[in-house]
Amino acid sequence: MGQIILATLLAAMLAYWPVSAMEHQHDVKPRQAQSALAVGAALDDSGRLWLARVENQQLWVSRSDDGGRRFSPPVAVSSQPEDIAADAENRPKIAVARDGTVLLTWSQSLPQKYAGNVRFARSTDGGRSFSTPMTLNDDGRIGSHRFESLAIDGAGRVAVVWLDGRDRDAVREKGGAFAGSSVYLAQSADNGAHFNANRKLTEHTCECCRTSLAWTAEGPVALWRNMYGTNTRDFALANLDTGKMDRATDDEWQIDACPHHGGGLAVDSHGALHLVWFTQGKTRQGLFYKRIAGGRESSPMALGDPAAQAGHATVAAAGSMVLIAWREFDGRAYVARAMHSTDGGASWSTPLRLAESGGAADYPLPLTDGKQALVVWNSATEGVRVLLLDVGNAK
Amino acid sequence: MIRRFLFGMMAVLVIAASASAAEPIPFTVDSLAKIKAQYAGRPFILNLWSVNECSYCIAELTLLGKLAKTQKRLPLVLVATDSPEFAPAMQKTLSPLGLAGVDSWVFDDPIPERLRHAIDPSWYGELPRTYLYDARHQRETIVGVLGEQRLRAWLEKNRLAN
Repeated sequence: MGQIILATLLAAMLAYWPVSAMEHQHDVKPRQAQSALAVGAALDDSGRLWLARVENQQLWVSRSDDGGRRFSPPVAVSSQPEDIAADAENRPKIAVARDGTVLLTWSQSLPQKYAGNVRFARSTDGGRSFSTPMTLNDDGRIGSHRFESLAIDGAGRVAVVWLDGRDRDAVREKGGAFAGSSVYLAQSADNGAHFNANRKLTEHTCECCRTSLAWTAEGPVALWRNMYGTNTRDFALANLDTGKMDRATDDEWQIDACPHHGGGLAVDSHGALHLVWFTQGKTRQGLFYKRIAGGRESSPMALGDPAAQAGHATVAAAGSMVLIAWREFDGRAYVARAMHSTDGGASWSTPLRLAESGGAADYPLPLTDGKQALVVWNSATEGVRVLLLDVGNAK
Repeated sequence: MIRRFLFGMMAVLVIAASASAAEPIPFTVDSLAKIKAQYAGRPFILNLWSVNECSYCIAELTLLGKLAKTQKRLPLVLVATDSPEFAPAMQKTLSPLGLAGVDSWVFDDPIPERLRHAIDPSWYGELPRTYLYDARHQRETIVGVLGEQRLRAWLEKNRLAN
């Protein structure tokens, strides 16, 4: 086919991971419950690929200047090990500002059930060293602060949103009832040198689905699985600057359970929002995409094979390029699939079967800078693979 | 006196043994068939939960634990979608809920989709989830928290109520 170039299998990279002999038994959660396969990745303004991955309770950052063939030796973000959530819908996030500042967020898992901290660190020397990680949630309580997402405008502004249990805990401590969780946020105007005090965006959200964040011309916009009525778990969109909040999906998924299955959001260079999400609602069931531009939205387009449990899609956009990747299980192995659009989501390529893995695997992560389109996929057997899509001459 | 003391000690040991949950059995692709064979011609409840990522599961397990106290032989099979490393955490959760002695399994496959498919191809991993199998092993699916009324009605219908 020649459509997919399997750029590299980073076996060489594995040689850099130091072996830790430290044994640390933990009360509630075992340290190696699921191997920490979920990675973060980003393209900087020069098209270089940055990778953040978790190994031995450390976050490691490396960079590739050749589209993922070779990576620099990974640098540990912190000298202090901590439990970093990097499985299922938890992954570290990495972003690179125009001045080269490398920004990282992740969720630290605490031994107490569902408890965690949203953590931040940055590098101002091109990833050679990192600031001491700080905890962004400022309530000073051991509680649920998880499923964070990170977005930057590139020029200094930084936004982080996460699911926060502080309101629920406060109400329950007084014997009251509180449905769901809350969304909180922290913002910085100087590439993460300082953060403003936490701000509450909304209450009563789903507790265990990833959030998503994209930086539009009108400021940062968040997507999360909200709770409408008693337990209708459809998605909401909100602009963090204006506070304007809209219902994003009308699937009518009423369920008093944890779907563990969130949505993804990206914005292209023309300001169109691109959404991917999962639902088992009354209106529709499965994995979907739609675009919202100029107050109009496309009708939901189904993605993937429901018989292969297609799920956990992520969308990336830049210029007029939109790229969606998701994972399926074909009865034998995991399959990473992707499709792309070069006209801002109006028309789409046929879905490609990019790669497969016979063992545990992360969800595939699409990246585009408007010119190149690639999918980063980590799996236990094959390691981190960078899969390049042949997108022709992107407009 | 010493005999009474020893008897007392033994009683304490027996109570301690029954209060600590049995090690969960690894659940693999053929485990459901084994469970069904074990309950051949009999109704049973297959409850799917997670110790790590499901607060709603605890509410449901609390109900099941309450029921297990009055129902001497509640045909309950618990399957956690975590991984075998979570066995101690599972036991720690189940014991205080009175579910220590219940038939308990835990997902053991690097690809949980494979196990989900073996149980129900239309299940994407939402938790909790319960299947009520009648004696002919026709099943009802409950997505989300199982209500007490529905469970009691099912027990009644399957002649399992006290």
